[in-house]
Amino acid sequence: MASPIADYLLALADDELILGHRASEWCGHAPILEEDIAFANLALDEIGHARLWLELAAKEMGEDPAKYPDQQVYFRAPDDFRNSQLVELPNGDWAFTMLRQYMFDAFETQRLDALSAVNHSGMAEVAASIRNEELYHLRHTQAWVRRLALGTEESAARSQAALNALWPYAQQLAQPLPGESQDVPSSSDIFDAWRNMVVPFIEECVLIIPEVSGFIGDRTQHSDHLAPMIADMQEVARVEPEAIW
Amino acid sequence: MADTQWPRFMVFERDQPDHPWKHNGSVHAPDLEMALLNARDVFSRRPEQAGMFVVPMAAILTQTREQLAENPLVVKKLQEGQASSASSSLPYMIFAKTFEQGPCEYVAEISAESPEAALAVAIATTAVKNPLWWWAFAASTVLASDAADAESMFAPARKKSYKSSNEYPVVTMMRQIRAKGKLED
Repeated sequence: MASPIADYLLALADDELILGHRASEWCGHAPILEEDIAFANLALDEIGHARLWLELAAKEMGEDPAKYPDQQVYFRAPDDFRNSQLVELPNGDWAFTMLRQYMFDAFETQRLDALSAVNHSGMAEVAASIRNEELYHLRHTQAWVRRLALGTEESAARSQAALNALWPYAQQLAQPLPGESQDVPSSSDIFDAWRNMVVPFIEECVLIIPEVSGFIGDRTQHSDHLAPMIADMQEVARVEPEAIW
Repeated sequence: MADTQWPRFMVFERDQPDHPWKHNGSVHAPDLEMALLNARDVFSRRPEQAGMFVVPMAAILTQTREQLAENPLVVKKLQEGQASSASSSLPYMIFAKTFEQGPCEYVAEISAESPEAALAVAIATTAVKNPLWWWAFAASTVLASDAADAESMFAPARKKSYKSSNEYPVVTMMRQIRAKGKLED
């Protein structure tokens, strides 16, 4: 049975899943071998987080936690995904990928801090366990963003272009999630905490934050980039729904 | 073709806080901090891990058994070291690989004026005799994980179960699916 908490958990899961899938697209293509391994690990972590949120959503809805995650990931229509548009954008170059990952990981650490204290034992537990991994992701992506932004003329220009493209999308994170109630931390408060965290870092990287107005559109709306990505992600499962991996 | 690789860093780790440091492998990275992060991602995905450090390969003095036999450089340095005063001594870390299948393991930390002098003291005073090779490097060239980071660096790997690649039926599955002609290559 649908519930506001389940809707909320599904949105959390979708952000993790879609960003994790985008990150996995670098597997075999990252700029150096060590980073290929590191970023594939990070992709797996994000997809693992999606699974944890989906298992929790299954319990809220009285669904089977062993089956529900795969059903949601492999057999849901693109229009039913509730991720933010920030995470569905194509990877672009390495500067774009690292900056997006940094911005989202930073937001997540703020959200997880707040979620660790909610009065819902399942949610607080999952948030605390995910947080450890996100702290490490943040350290990794922050290291890259700093080096690219302060690196060569080209890497700095690419970093600035990435920021210009990503910053408007990041504003969507201030919107309430589907099912967001008084019982969970407010997205707009988390967004403020996030701004206080990332703005000084971005300025330290000598990047200029573009002027933007608020994001238009909610999580029921997606860019044209999501559907082809979902088709790719679901292709094999839809051909062979009974397959055991 | 030009060498486009970043510099190499040696990776050391220990599986318990009170266990000795062991050499694990190497990573390429643009600098020490990135080397430590790469080392964590390449080498610490599996338990148990309690600490890790990296050191630039260029900062390591290596002396193999053969080198020492052919050219007793270290012994000469030891004599020089004893002659001069030890006014500018620094801590050096000494590692040795004692047998073929074993790791290159921590031996001692020795204050000396140079890596050669530190190694000479290690050869003369430690229990390690005639190893396959010695390594000596200044403790100041090392970047180690600190205790505050241990949780985010090493705890996640402990919760992940390790499955050997042949436990996954993916390859066989994909072959069967492709054989049915339902998927484009």
